[in-house]
This record gives sequence, structure tokens and C-alpha cells, in this order.
Amino acid sequence: MTGAELVVKLLTEHGVHSVFGYPGGAIMPIYDALYQSPVKHYLCRHEQGGGFSAIGYARASGQTGVCLATSGPGATNLITALADALLDSVPVVAITGQVSQAVAGTDAFQEVDVLGLSLTCTKHSFYVRDVADLAATLREAFLLAQSGRPGPVLVDIPKDVQLAPVDYQPLHLTTATAAPDCSGLATQIAAARTLLQQAQKPMAYIGGGVHMADALPELNAFLTATGMPSVTTLKAMGSVEKANPLYLGMLGMHGTQAANIAVQQTDLLVCLGARFDDRVTGNLKKFAPEAKVIHIDIDPAEINKLRAADVAMLGDLKALLPVMAVAGDYSAWQAHCSALKQQHGWRYDHPGERIFAPLLLKQLSERMPDNSVVSCDVGQHQMWVAQHMRFNSPRNHLSSGGLGTMGFGLPAAIGAKISRPQDTSVLVTGDGSFMMNVQELATIKRFRLPVKIVVIDNQRLGMVKQWQQLFFAGRYSETDLSDNPDFVSLAAAFAIPGHSISHKDEVESALDAMFSWPGPYLLHVRIDETDNVWPLVPPGAANHDMMTDLPQWEE
Amino acid sequence: MSNAAKSHQHTLTIHTRHEAVAIERLLQVTRYRGFTLAGLELKPLADLTGLLITLSVVSDKPISLLVNQLNKLYDVLDLELHQAEAGALRA
Repeated sequence: MTGAELVVKLLTEHGVHSVFGYPGGAIMPIYDALYQSPVKHYLCRHEQGGGFSAIGYARASGQTGVCLATSGPGATNLITALADALLDSVPVVAITGQVSQAVAGTDAFQEVDVLGLSLTCTKHSFYVRDVADLAATLREAFLLAQSGRPGPVLVDIPKDVQLAPVDYQPLHLTTATAAPDCSGLATQIAAARTLLQQAQKPMAYIGGGVHMADALPELNAFLTATGMPSVTTLKAMGSVEKANPLYLGMLGMHGTQAANIAVQQTDLLVCLGARFDDRVTGNLKKFAPEAKVIHIDIDPAEINKLRAADVAMLGDLKALLPVMAVAGDYSAWQAHCSALKQQHGWRYDHPGERIFAPLLLKQLSERMPDNSVVSCDVGQHQMWVAQHMRFNSPRNHLSSGGLGTMGFGLPAAIGAKISRPQDTSVLVTGDGSFMMNVQELATIKRFRLPVKIVVIDNQRLGMVKQWQQLFFAGRYSETDLSDNPDFVSLAAAFAIPGHSISHKDEVESALDAMFSWPGPYLLHVRIDETDNVWPLVPPGAANHDMMTDLPQWEE
Repeated sequence: MSNAAKSHQHTLTIHTRHEAVAIERLLQVTRYRGFTLAGLELKPLADLTGLLITLSVVSDKPISLLVNQLNKLYDVLDLELHQAEAGALRA
């Protein structure tokens, strides 16, 4: 077989049934090998769309996502998706074609140094010089993408390597998997248990590392056993069982008041698979100022990176959480947190007839089918989704957290639908973000993917505009999008039906119509451009200094 | 009197795979994580199976931040930090 055929063989060897990409000159041998192969290729309409679809596929399923691109512009178009996957720890293998080695380094047509370009936004990037190394390199790429802290890996394959003859040698996998071992952490575990017993106001700060460690059952057992209140990051939404009364929601810049106040008051912060991101901590020096810290992570570089830990453990949360659990008497603290939650609940009593996005999203959350996957883009709607929708798994909430990439949502929703065809895939996007990868409507059309699209349209780059209003003296530089296209007509051009609404009394019937339609559907929701996201922790402030007293209808 | 944190010099000995990309990554990470390059020497191992690199950096940040990031690199096989500091560079 050829190197290209070997690539496809190795994809099947790794259980890859679906890949996303776009063909071009330097990757034509691999596309030829894909032709009539058992690997289903989803043609996206931009390589970035292919990259984000691979991420959506991976995040919704837990499997490694695979994307393909040709050399030069094809590969450079993947870079943003790779950076997104790196920041959010998503296992992705990107395979790029490269010009033949005979012309490598000559500034050949569509030649660019993809290896060099990609190194800072992957776990590692490989360039395959010899077809004899191809199988080992691809196997290493899949292993690396999934191991430890997951992330993207790129394999750049010159065209001559794709065309070279090679034999396939099956990999004899060792199926025995060693059980996670935390015996080497006995001292730290004992110290952590002591801190838990001494604490009066402990708080679990839960990040995306918990579900990536497949440790959600252990997490919820730990929370139940300890009676500890909890908060989550954006990536960990859906980690805590809905029935847990001491879950206070998301913390950070647009977190709940209850979460932010309680975290500032805690005397023991138990950080589980999270990384003290600046959107979480606000002013780091003022974050949880009285708290001792227990920090557990799989990535040694996250320990003590931003906040010194009193007890640090580098290991598997699935093994560590059960042995750490120790019950304490936190009844006064529990009552306090419950009171905070009660006192600072969301308000949906928005006056007037215009649609209030938080209420619409609450209604969407209540009406969507069980186990729906919600992808979103970046901006105000993204924060409203995190605040007002409820999820029963982090795999049901796909949001570009670390990189904050506008244009993420539509292709991610496509990838989610392909990875979980039995579940409903919902995209909540904004009018700015939607246009960033709008060409992927063609992918929906081509494959008749029943993705439900909700465009929250304020004719503005809303989050930037909000900051301009609050922190730049109302100088609205380049955030007016009032020349947006007619989104319903735009969808119709891709054979996607749609409907536009602007009044509260239209919402329920519109949502019902969208979900009852058997195919893809676009619901265009006009909202007031003055609506803002609250609460907000201003830059440089501590998390308890939230701006909450400017409800938009009182401005 | 400056309130700036004191900068320190640190020296790392790093064994990497024999790949040019290993050097690229070392330098990228050093720059990106806020460490100033103060010296770089490298030589291939006698059997050409790897590179032995001596990297000197200056920063007011804890050296552990760099060590932890470098240790994650695919091509880094071993890393040793020499604790001998050149001392404070700024008052």
C-alpha cells in the first residue's frame, strides 16, 4: 500500500469513523485513499470549520477528533482551531499534507513551515520524512493527544511520503490497563484529609479536568460524602448533579454572585482539575484571600503556577477523590451558602415586550430534549448560556473557554451532531460570531444535519460594546453590526428553514416549532442592543466586587 | 529604590531528542513564559541519539514555572536545574 493508504488504515485502527477536512494539492493522495474507504469524510467549507468540527466531535464524545488539510493556506487555516484545542485540552489529531521533500524549503507553491507555525499551539507537531516512520508517528500522535492532559497533535506528511510504498504492520495492543495508583501520594492525601477536617468553610472549585479524567461519579460521591459546597468553571458546567443543593454555579467574571461571594469567604479551596484562570480569579492577589488550597491536577505545570498550594497532588482524580473524602461538620457554612444562593437567584422579571435573552435561554434549556448538546459561540450569549441553561454533563455544553474563539459554535455543533447522532445538537450563537464561520451552513445542507440554530441578534458585538459602555466612556468603536444580513433568508439559501421573533410571547411557540421540525432549523431572535451581562467583575477587581446594580432596564 | 522583583539567573542542563525542533521549542517556551535567554550551548551526544543543551536564563519569575513547562515538551528527555544562582541582577 501507499503511505496515504496507510494513513487511512491507521485511522480505522484507532476507531476513527469520521474525519473533517478540505482537500487540496499536497494532500490529494490521502483524499484518494479516503475515496470509498470505511472512514467517513465530512467536507467542511473552510479548514477552520473542519478543525472546530473535530473539536466538537471530540468534546461531545470523549473520542479523539481528526481533521485534515492541505499544505500552505489549508494548514494555516487550522491554526486557530489547534490553539482552541490546546487551551481547552481537547484531543485532536490534525493531519496536513505538505509539499514533496524534493521541493521542500524552496518556497514552493502552497509551501509554508507548518511544523514551525503549529508548535506553540499543539502538544507536539511531527514532520514525517520517511514512510517507514509514518505508522509509528501517527500512533504516537493519537497516544499523545489522549494521554495526560489531552490536547492537539499535528502530523505534517509530505506528498512523496504519502505516495511511497509501505507495508502495514498491525499494532498488537496491550489491553491490560493498570489501575490508577495513588499510593505514592499517601503523605499528601493525609495532609489533604487533615485540612478538610480542620476546615470550617471548604469549597470545591471544579474544572474541566474532572470530567476529562472520567471522574464525575467520584466527584459527586466526594461532594456528597464531604457535604462541601461547590462551584464550577465554564468548562465544568454540568459536572455537579442537578440535585445537589450546595452547588452555587459558575464562578468568575460573569459567575453567580453566590459562587463568587462564597469563594471569597472560603477557608479551604479544593481545586480539582482547574487552573486559576484569570477569568475565574479576577484579581489573583485578592482571590479567596483567606483560603488554604488543595490542588489536584494531571498537569505538573499547573501546580503552583498562579496560586501556591498548601497541598498539591499530581495524579488521577478518579483514584484520588475517593480516598480524600472525609466528612466534616460544615452545617453553618452550608446554611450560609444556601442563603447566598437563595438571596442572589436570577431574576427573569424583565419589563416590556422585547425578548430577554436570559429568560429565552432558560426556556430553551427547559424545552430542549434530554441530553441535548448545546454549542455556543463567544460573547454575551455565551455567558448567558452558562448562567441560565442547565446541563447534566460537561459533554453537553461546548464553549470555547480558554481561547474564546468567535466562530467556534456552528462547526462545533456539526461535530457534536455527527459524534452523537441520537442526541439533539443545539447551537446558541450571536450575530457577530455566527458570521465568522457561516459557510458551514453548507456542511449542514450537504449532510442534512438536523442542527438547531438559535441566533441571538442585538446587531452589535455585544460584549465588546458592553465594555465600551462601562470602561471606554461609551465610545462604540466598530461594534455596530446593524448591517447584518437577513439571517432567515441566509439560512434559506442553504435550504434551512427559519423564523424570526422579537417579542416574548413568541418564544415558546417558536422553540416548539424549532424542535418539532425534523431537520436543521434557524431561529432568529432579536434582542435589545442595550441588554448587558450581569454580574460582571471589572478588570482588576476582586470577585466579590461585582457590578450588579445596573440592571439594564433601570439604566 | 525599585520595587521590581529581583531577577535571578538559572542554568538548566537538558537532554533532548536529536531534532532541530527540540531547540525551537526550548527557545519558544523560554521566551513565551517570560524568561530572558542568557546563554545557550548545545552538542550532540557521541552516539548522535540526542542533544545535550545548557540553557541559561534570567527572570524575576520562579524558575519552576519554566522547568515545569520544559519538562512537558515531547522532545525533552531529561532536565536538570543547577541551583547556583548568579544572584540578584537588580536592586
